[in-house]
Amino acid sequence: MPPNTPAAWVIVAAYNEAPVIGRVVAELAGCGYRVVVVDDGSTDATGALALTAGAAVLTHPVNLGQGAALQTGIAFALRRGADTIVTFDADGQHRAGDAAVLITALAANSADFALGSRFLAATPAMPASRRLLLRAATAFTRLTTGLHVTDTHNGLRALTRRGASRIALRQNRMAHASEILHCIARSGLAYVEVPVTVDYNAYSLAKGQRFSDSLRILLDLSAHRLHR
Amino acid sequence: MIAQIGLSILLGGIMAYAFSQYAKAPAIGFAALAAAAAGLYFVWLPSHATWLAERAGIGRGVDLIIYVWVVISLLVMLNLHLKLRAQTELITALTREIAIANARLPPETK
Repeated sequence: MPPNTPAAWVIVAAYNEAPVIGRVVAELAGCGYRVVVVDDGSTDATGALALTAGAAVLTHPVNLGQGAALQTGIAFALRRGADTIVTFDADGQHRAGDAAVLITALAANSADFALGSRFLAATPAMPASRRLLLRAATAFTRLTTGLHVTDTHNGLRALTRRGASRIALRQNRMAHASEILHCIARSGLAYVEVPVTVDYNAYSLAKGQRFSDSLRILLDLSAHRLHR
Repeated sequence: MIAQIGLSILLGGIMAYAFSQYAKAPAIGFAALAAAAAGLYFVWLPSHATWLAERAGIGRGVDLIIYVWVVISLLVMLNLHLKLRAQTELITALTREIAIANARLPPETK
């Protein structure tokens, strides 16, 4: 059981993750978490498999993107009285044990956000192109948010109820990772970075971001600033 | 004169549109308003357009007016794009409520 986590909810945004979602949910449920899978309009059996594995399943009738799915999960958990919320990628690259480390870090540092960082831990098998892309994203986000983070696109985070209630994502797709950091910066609440391990494999690499996505993220963030 | 009146009506329409968009997208509303006002000015005082075009290295005043028109068109397109994004946000909010209202819970938590 995770330490001191009577009401820790883990939000998993999933789109066509049938090959791995059952294992991911089973691992998290086995650790004692309440798991919420937001099935983001999948065309495979992601939702059914997640439900069977022990997750609550929210289904988007259409595919909106990971940011929209995470916000749906956060809203659901808050309405159900969650005290602590963890966001967790569906592709199996995170370790369930790291979620407990993040939750512990919240209390230990009196923080409202604990952000996983693969660059503070050993991350074997990270391709050089992925490292370069993530470093560039980190430099950009540091510049625009003023937060001294080392890993801006890590999907493993823990939030207190107060912190989660300050997250209001309007970026439906991949730009949400930067938007979360903007929300944290605007909130003025404390955050802490925690070393976590990201296990790269062929499946997660195929699902991951590419250089072409970074241009789209930049355009999304820019357009967002032009409109109220 | 007929062309000037026609263009003035069109540019006046764009100015009204830009003004109506100012509250939601101030930067774009202001830029479109300024570009349309400049276009209106050059339509009625083409010699000024020629004078400015020569100094800007564009060559002919009519080319300057075309450039201004292109800028206006791009700004209107950008504004339409932002409107589409706003529509997407509404769809997202609706989708979110549908998903939460129809949550499927695992047997032990029902």
